[in-house]
Amino acid sequence: MRFGFIVERLLQLVPVLLGVSLVVFLMMTLTPGDPVEIMLGDQRVTPEQKESLRHDMGLDLPATERFVHFVANAVKGDFGRSFFHRRPVADVIAERLPATLELTIVAMLIALAVGIPLGVLAAVRRGSLIDKAATVISLIGTSMPGFWFGIMLILFFAVYLGWMPVSGRIDLEFEVPRITGMYLIDSVLSGRLDAFLNALRHIVMPAITLGLAMAALLMRVTRTSMIEVLQQDYIVFAEAKGLSRSRVLLRHALKNALIPTVTVAALETGYLLGGNTIVETVFGWPGLARVIVEGVFSRDYPLVQAGVLVIAVIYVMVNFAADVLYTILNPRIKL
Amino acid sequence: MMNIRSLFLIDRAVASRLFFAGLLAVVASGALCADVRVGFTQDALTLDPANHRKRETETVIRNLYDAVMTQTSKSQTVPEIAESVRQIDPVTYEVKLRKGVKFHSGDEMTADDVKFTYDRLTKDKAMGGQTSPRQSLVGPLVSTDVVDRYTVRFKLKEPWPVFERMLPAQQVVSRKFVEKVGNDGMATQANGTGPFKLVEWRRGDSIIMERFADYYGGAPAIPPVGAAKADRLIFKIIPENASRMAALMAGEVDVVNEVPVFAINTIERSGKAKVVKANGTRTFFIALNVTKPPFSDVRVRQAANHAVDKKLLIDRLLGNAATPVAGVLSPESFGYKKGLREYEFDPNKAKKLLADAGFAKGIDVTLDTEGAFKDQAEAIASMLTKVGIRTKVQVWEGAVLTPIWRADKKERDMYFSSWGSGALDPTGIFVPTLKTKDRGNSSGYSNPKVDKLLDAAESEMNTTKRADMYHEAERIVTEEAPWIFLWVPQDIYAISTRLRGWEPGTDSRINMHRAYLVK
Repeated sequence: MRFGFIVERLLQLVPVLLGVSLVVFLMMTLTPGDPVEIMLGDQRVTPEQKESLRHDMGLDLPATERFVHFVANAVKGDFGRSFFHRRPVADVIAERLPATLELTIVAMLIALAVGIPLGVLAAVRRGSLIDKAATVISLIGTSMPGFWFGIMLILFFAVYLGWMPVSGRIDLEFEVPRITGMYLIDSVLSGRLDAFLNALRHIVMPAITLGLAMAALLMRVTRTSMIEVLQQDYIVFAEAKGLSRSRVLLRHALKNALIPTVTVAALETGYLLGGNTIVETVFGWPGLARVIVEGVFSRDYPLVQAGVLVIAVIYVMVNFAADVLYTILNPRIKL
Repeated sequence: MMNIRSLFLIDRAVASRLFFAGLLAVVASGALCADVRVGFTQDALTLDPANHRKRETETVIRNLYDAVMTQTSKSQTVPEIAESVRQIDPVTYEVKLRKGVKFHSGDEMTADDVKFTYDRLTKDKAMGGQTSPRQSLVGPLVSTDVVDRYTVRFKLKEPWPVFERMLPAQQVVSRKFVEKVGNDGMATQANGTGPFKLVEWRRGDSIIMERFADYYGGAPAIPPVGAAKADRLIFKIIPENASRMAALMAGEVDVVNEVPVFAINTIERSGKAKVVKANGTRTFFIALNVTKPPFSDVRVRQAANHAVDKKLLIDRLLGNAATPVAGVLSPESFGYKKGLREYEFDPNKAKKLLADAGFAKGIDVTLDTEGAFKDQAEAIASMLTKVGIRTKVQVWEGAVLTPIWRADKKERDMYFSSWGSGALDPTGIFVPTLKTKDRGNSSGYSNPKVDKLLDAAESEMNTTKRADMYHEAERIVTEEAPWIFLWVPQDIYAISTRLRGWEPGTDSRINMHRAYLVK
């Protein structure tokens, strides 16, 4: 991998992020609804008081000036102050982002751990009962609405069986020293096994809910590409050489079949980050996606702009990581 | 001479006797001083009492901070950290503070803190260069002066009869603490005089508080007085309705707010929890655009009122959790009186009124609503359609719809709307929604006689005369029917059958000072 490639990709981030900022800014500005009116609600207020609030929010400036200010400050890491939280946006995001990242990562791990082996198995045993069962499971996984599935999990495992907690990230009794903000990692780093297990209990249901559809999709993609690869001449050749079945499958077939799976997994990160909105609401998961949605409804411009920007950065970085992974899976791919 | 060892032994014996006596008392009363957990829809935006305009945020804060006055569950305003509040003249109020009220830091709360609190609210740019968004909530208050260590005087620019009713919404902060942590520090830290002190705020997840042992006891008018009964109070943030109800059923929380109507029966049948209700603070109505036909004709507006079967709607759609209103005011509000014109459900009368207005063949109109009220709006639309007011429902996002209807020029027909007044005083709802060109006057209604009555009532200090003025204004308004008068929904909560010491109030707050659990 060329060093120049990395620099090139990082430079590509600039127009992407500028574009994202502009689109979000325009969407928020052009959508009717005045943050000052929303904040004041029904209570009495004088025109002067309204203007003073508008000034505090920076809404008395022309839109172009507001956008330039936002970009100029964002470059320095200053995203302004949230209209409604009345604190620096960076603080609000820093508090909430780790929860979203943690949930996304665990959901992705579940999706990969379930989707890929099932896909391989279905391809190898094509037409068998396992293949048919996997197809049915994947159909259910893609077609079941996340919020409904989440509520069903809660009703069965939390209310009926009482095995799982309904909501939250960890029980109140546990205090995990903040290192990354991700409880699973922080509890391991600080040697707190009890806290780790408790955090794990909390994340299981939301992560399954979030990762289910992705697992189904990955299973379908892996199955299809695996079937295709298994019909290639080099697989027949490898088998003819007398290599063991498992070696042929894992070293020769799966490695090549995984390239489309990696592409889909990277693209699906966007879905996971977006899907967080629903899962975070259903499971009371204190993540960033929920705050952004609340920000959209209350027209908290700085919060929404910065939040979407952060999610865009994550998305671009994950896809960048996928590009790097291609070269590992298939060294003939040159970047 | 007693040696140290024997002293220690005696002390231990006394201590253990006291411990068991205490334990027995607790067991006898059935009280279990454990955690009380509230499953709550929204996290606090900030913990600074002066830097928000959000009802849910205030609900959390009021367990940490007390105010000069508070409100009983029956919506009476009574002294809290004040010993007394006395009106000296139409624009001056004198507050005598209780002695020995402590902040969580241990510092005594004095008149200087009250002055600092109100200056922070009223002075421009008093909060790190920004003005408090709550400034308008203290109306014409211009200055707060310290008379002595325990006495302050509030000076208003003009008489404002609701001043006392607005005091519960402003919690007193410590000058020393604010100067120490700054305005940004106030957003995440708390040092109030309330029954609970902050332990930890896990943003978006929970707010954990514990009993403040040195609490002065709370408002004497709301017994029992004393420290909080629960060891800890936890607000657990669960935005999704079904999950919040599930948390109650699973025993993870003891109180939940905003219980959806569909869940009432399930909760009642569970045996683990029960539903409790209190009249809310919002009046629901349909604003009829009186500035253009067809609703510029009073007969069409009256026809619309006769066409709606409120009782049926409340029974079927609102789970019987709403009180129908004939006019503007909630039954809990100051100035509420019976004897207004009631528009009974009478489709024939509605058709006749419509024909009298020249619309025998009916009219075609649009009813605007937010998504949350779509079902109610559609049910009303079908009732209106049956009498010839053929109504199409259009669903909007609130932030888009509100400015359309608050604009000076009214171009649309009907608006399913509501207006809240936390202080439950007519000035908070009547003036903004029905005074000529006021900010929430969606229907475009204008009647100089009503304006005059509302203006006069704003500064009338005699409560009887003031109530009569509002009643007269309400009588005129109900005759002229700029709205389809609907209902005041109740706030619906569900509580564990183990919870004692709390009942929902008409101010929609959850003050858990006296709440505790039994086995």
